Amino acid sequence: MSTIGIIANPASGKDIRRLVSHATVIDNNEKVNILERIILGAQSFGVDKVYIMPDSYMMGYKTQDQLNLSKELTADIEILDMIIKASPKDTERAAQIMEEKKLGCVVVLGGDGTHRLVAKYLKTVPLIGVSTGTNNAYPKMLEGTIVGVAAAVIASKSYDTHLSCRRDKIIEILKNGEFIDICLMDAVISIEQYIGSKAIWNLSNIKKIIVANCHPASIGFSAIVGVNQYIDERDDFGAALDLNCGENRFLAPVAAGKIEALSSGDLEIIEMNQSIKWEVDFKGIIAVDGEREIVFNKGDSFEFKLTRNGPIQVDVRKTMETAVVEGFFKTK
Amino acid sequence: MKLENEKILEMYVNMVKIRKFEEEAMDLFAVGDIQGFVHLYIGEEAVATGACANLNEDDYITSTHRGHGHIVSKGGDIKLMMAELYGKKTGYCKGKGGSMHIADATKGILGANGIVGAGHDIAAGAGLSIKYRKTNQVCICFFGDASTNQSTFHEALNLSSIWKLPVVFVCENNGYGISLSQKNHQAIKDISDRAVAYNIPGVTVDGNDVFAVYEAVGEAVNRARKQQGPTLVECKTYRYRGHFEGDPALYRSKEELEEWLEKDPIDRMEKYLLENNIASKDKIKEISDRLDSEIQEAVSFAKESPFPDVGASVEDVYSDIVEEVK
Repeated sequence: MSTIGIIANPASGKDIRRLVSHATVIDNNEKVNILERIILGAQSFGVDKVYIMPDSYMMGYKTQDQLNLSKELTADIEILDMIIKASPKDTERAAQIMEEKKLGCVVVLGGDGTHRLVAKYLKTVPLIGVSTGTNNAYPKMLEGTIVGVAAAVIASKSYDTHLSCRRDKIIEILKNGEFIDICLMDAVISIEQYIGSKAIWNLSNIKKIIVANCHPASIGFSAIVGVNQYIDERDDFGAALDLNCGENRFLAPVAAGKIEALSSGDLEIIEMNQSIKWEVDFKGIIAVDGEREIVFNKGDSFEFKLTRNGPIQVDVRKTMETAVVEGFFKTK
Repeated sequence: MKLENEKILEMYVNMVKIRKFEEEAMDLFAVGDIQGFVHLYIGEEAVATGACANLNEDDYITSTHRGHGHIVSKGGDIKLMMAELYGKKTGYCKGKGGSMHIADATKGILGANGIVGAGHDIAAGAGLSIKYRKTNQVCICFFGDASTNQSTFHEALNLSSIWKLPVVFVCENNGYGISLSQKNHQAIKDISDRAVAYNIPGVTVDGNDVFAVYEAVGEAVNRARKQQGPTLVECKTYRYRGHFEGDPALYRSKEELEEWLEKDPIDRMEKYLLENNIASKDKIKEISDRLDSEIQEAVSFAKESPFPDVGASVEDVYSDIVEEVK
């Protein structure tokens, strides 16, 4: 018996960046379609139980109904028994339950922000991130069917996963000496005054970007640092860049359809298990993985520590390659 | 988006003003002073406040049957509003419209409206007028989630999109169409999903966070002023009272209401003001006391005003033919 879990964020892909850039809209009916494809892919390769996070749009139930109607559902679907808050707490709670159930693999549909919430709780169960958000650097654009197959390969626990899975880096954030949050990709310090619509896009307000990974082929803050130096998931270091100051001038893809001219200071490398410290001398906010979350005031002190305490992420492409080599697709 | 403390405080005052006006209307309705239907905006104050904080005096709004908050936010006079609720001659509609038909053309308030979905097309018309006259105005169209099932919504979004009209469609998604939960009348959860069909941007924000509404509508207003066309902004919110006063709201649970009370937009704003030293507790009390006096003045004005003459019932039924079409 192999089991997988699915966490699909009904709120991803709808924030203000659709107004300030050319970001894609992924509606919830499309997410239901993706869920169907994941389950169809997974059950064809031995997954017989699928746990799904309940949500206010009832994507799990809609998927179940749809697949029952088409008489294609063979796996058992169970919607997690939890009270829906229609808030990020739902994602956190679902991740916590799925970790406790020790599922074979968890598939997450959302953006960087959704994956950050999952990463707080999913420590031992491998994760596949599917992008249905905006400016995503962590989850990838993947076809649901293949995600389902890859999840089935991982959940079968029959193969060596050292090539196809890796434990991710994260940045642990401490405020006045106390741990308060994490980010998977980037923490951004801004002089914005409030959380508001959460997404962060006004680059002129940004003071500093701290990244665990960055790449010029991504978009947003990862790309802003990434066009200066790319740091991939295997590198045991991260970096920090002071923005809107210094002599370093460059162009970067800052949002969907938006390339901007920026200036920065020199790149500062952060080694594994090392921190950069920052004493606050103005009022502002910190955005984690693209969302304004932490408010600070003059006199606060922060520490951004790079660790490898992140989730175990599945490389779908490598997983499928391993499956071919190991004869996973062969039939009698 | 930079906000001066003065502007933040203005938004707070506006939200409290709406809340106090509505609570007074609730009490006056309960004792029988106000006749007819009253649909209260309590709980949704951040939407009208955050949205209208982006508008100029000559910009337009269209409203709904739950319109008091919109009227206050666009600068409506609460004395004239209260007099209208009382059906008095000094009211906005000379006492003949009541709660659901308050309008003030001098302030760009194109009217609350008892017909669900009627505001959509009026807003598109206002947008076309702005485009025709080549001014820099915009029109905000307020409407509820259930009204997006009406054909007017689809007609208005379609025309506004293909004609690139300066209209911002602000949906107040409070989860209910009268007594019907959204999940029982719509195959979608997020109204913003409907924007895709009309090739316009659609976003969803926390409608109980005045900053979130202000930011999103602000960007949409900027787009409209730059002639980039309409936007659909969905604000998730909740009305604390029933659909109308007298509705016991038995179709929803106590727990659901309590959950939303925890997200009260005014409490959240008050917390922000105190934490960021924008206002002290004394200042907040002073604001509250001042608004209480203003509301009582409005009630006195309404009570002391005369009812319209019987003969007025047949006046203002038809418009005089305007000079240009004679």
